[in-house]
Amino acid sequence: MQKLNLRFRLIIFFGLISLTVFTVAGLLSWQECREKVDEFFDTYQLALARQLSTADWTHVVPESQEITDQLIEDVSNAESEEDSIGFAIFSNAGERIFHDGEKGKDFPPFGRTGSFGTERIDDDDWRVIRLMSTDRQYIVAVGQELDFRTEIVEDMFEEFMTPWGIGLFVLLAAIIVMLTKEFASLNRLAAQLKTRSADDLSPIDETNIPAEVTPLTGEVNQLFARIEEMLKRERDFIADAAHELRSPLTALKVQLEVAQMSANDPQTIRESLQKLEHGIDRSTRLVEQLLAFSRIESNLTPDLHDEESLDWTQIVARIKDEYAPGAAAKQITFIERLSGPPPFQKGNPVWADLMLRNLVDNAVKYSPCGAVITITIEDEKISVCNSDVSVSPEQLTHLGQRFYRPAGQKIEGSGLGLSIIAKIASIYHCRADCTNTSDGFCVTILPQTN
Amino acid sequence: MRILLIEDDSLIGDGIKNGLEKLGFSVDWFSDGDDGHEALLQADYDAVVLDLGLPGRDGLSILTNWRARGCKVPVLILTARGDVDERIAGLNSGADDYLGKPFALKEVQARLNALIRRSSGLSTPEIKYREITFNPQNRKTFFNGKEVTLSPKETALLELLLLNRNKVLSKESIESKIYSWDDDVSSNAVEVHIHHLRKKLGKDIVKTINKIGYIMED
Repeated sequence: MQKLNLRFRLIIFFGLISLTVFTVAGLLSWQECREKVDEFFDTYQLALARQLSTADWTHVVPESQEITDQLIEDVSNAESEEDSIGFAIFSNAGERIFHDGEKGKDFPPFGRTGSFGTERIDDDDWRVIRLMSTDRQYIVAVGQELDFRTEIVEDMFEEFMTPWGIGLFVLLAAIIVMLTKEFASLNRLAAQLKTRSADDLSPIDETNIPAEVTPLTGEVNQLFARIEEMLKRERDFIADAAHELRSPLTALKVQLEVAQMSANDPQTIRESLQKLEHGIDRSTRLVEQLLAFSRIESNLTPDLHDEESLDWTQIVARIKDEYAPGAAAKQITFIERLSGPPPFQKGNPVWADLMLRNLVDNAVKYSPCGAVITITIEDEKISVCNSDVSVSPEQLTHLGQRFYRPAGQKIEGSGLGLSIIAKIASIYHCRADCTNTSDGFCVTILPQTN
Repeated sequence: MRILLIEDDSLIGDGIKNGLEKLGFSVDWFSDGDDGHEALLQADYDAVVLDLGLPGRDGLSILTNWRARGCKVPVLILTARGDVDERIAGLNSGADDYLGKPFALKEVQARLNALIRRSSGLSTPEIKYREITFNPQNRKTFFNGKEVTLSPKETALLELLLLNRNKVLSKESIESKIYSWDDDVSSNAVEVHIHHLRKKLGKDIVKTINKIGYIMED
């Protein structure tokens, strides 16, 4: 189930809390009212019972009852402050001597005496207290209908709780209004982001956004900036790559056309087809280099950060074997100096291999015949040097730029080799330096901090 | 027609040179910008195909330099960049047309023919002279409405004469126009071609001016 939005959850939370507090407070108030009312009327009943128990009842005759009833009726017709308290006086033998109008008429003469008790009289519950008169000749019973007390409590409770109820309502309304207002800016922000087009990476407008949310929008804006930079890099790369691919494609197309035009010239056809094949090989190498470069550049390779122990001696041996035929054809000699620690000992063997392969490939490709290529691993450095090659200071500053090829360079290449080398090195916190030394032109991989 | 090609990419340069030669042009190809720049100042070319993305001296500076020295030869620039700015920069530096890579050889041929035609003051693609009709694009020649088979060099010579009517062309200038520096030219090659043209298209189409050269008169 989808999680309710924060605003709704807060409203429900505050609503429930308020309602619970209100209910508990109500129950406690009810309890308190009930106790106070009971205490009040019990005191009143007891006082009345005491007074009655000390009265002299010897002179009461049956006519007194009639006169009293009539009196009570007159009073209640005129104006009555009904307290629904009644009393009855009995002789200690249980004979009813006097009672208070209609109410005391049905009180039973006997029952709990000396303390309060609840009795059922005429289908109603009554709170009744009986006292013996001081001369022990009479029984005084004073009672009150419990429903009356309940009504009093209800009235009190209602008056007491009404302001609280209104307060609760006002509080809830205020919470809803406040939350809605506070969340409106967030909703606006959400709507803004929702309608944003995929290529719009302008920063989010942070005005009118609550201070609590600005760290988040700040992070999002930084992310936007990073994505924009990455996209720019990608676009530049694609533009460069497209440019670099156009030349080999042109070569293929032109050579193919020459072959097509030479229907009656088998020699030219053969030559053109050879050149076509050569062009296709060249394009394949370029595409492979482009792919390797873009995979490293955009970190698309999950295994790039693998931390395997690298056997550099083995990697050097393997690459040297691979380039041996090409080197032999140019009478190039390899010298190895694998005496010391490499710049990085752990990493992904495939990428370490690709880095060194590009170093050696460049060295073999650009070395003149009879040159010496020295591969050195020592002092946390890997360097590949080719004798008889030197690069001008002006060209040194451009080396390693994507697709850069020195002026007048006749040897084919993608212009990506050094970029790939530098990229892989940077993943392992190293850099690639190009220098002219006594060993010739050297590319050295060394830790960035060095 | 003699074309100067300056292109650093060996496969493209080789392809354009071979292709254009098959299409009847004589082509001198330089892969170095400086050499190419010098070549135009040394020989008489009908048009130049210039790659802008040269590693040595860049194409635009070569072009600017030629124009500054008053060279009026039509220049077709080749560019691998897709962006409009480079084309505009090329045209503003004095290029007459441009082609974006990858292109077809036939397109290079068509553009070159159009450039040469324009620089010779012609407006229609077909050149007519008396009973002769010549189409520079498909290299076909018609005499009295019937197609005549001419060798590539004969076609080139005919085209040269047609484009330079009423002008006396010396034997040397004809040689320099229809042969590149790579071609071996025998001493009487031009005379042989003229002889063949007269045989196929009529004795009086070309007049010989003794010790000076040849002329095609209206």
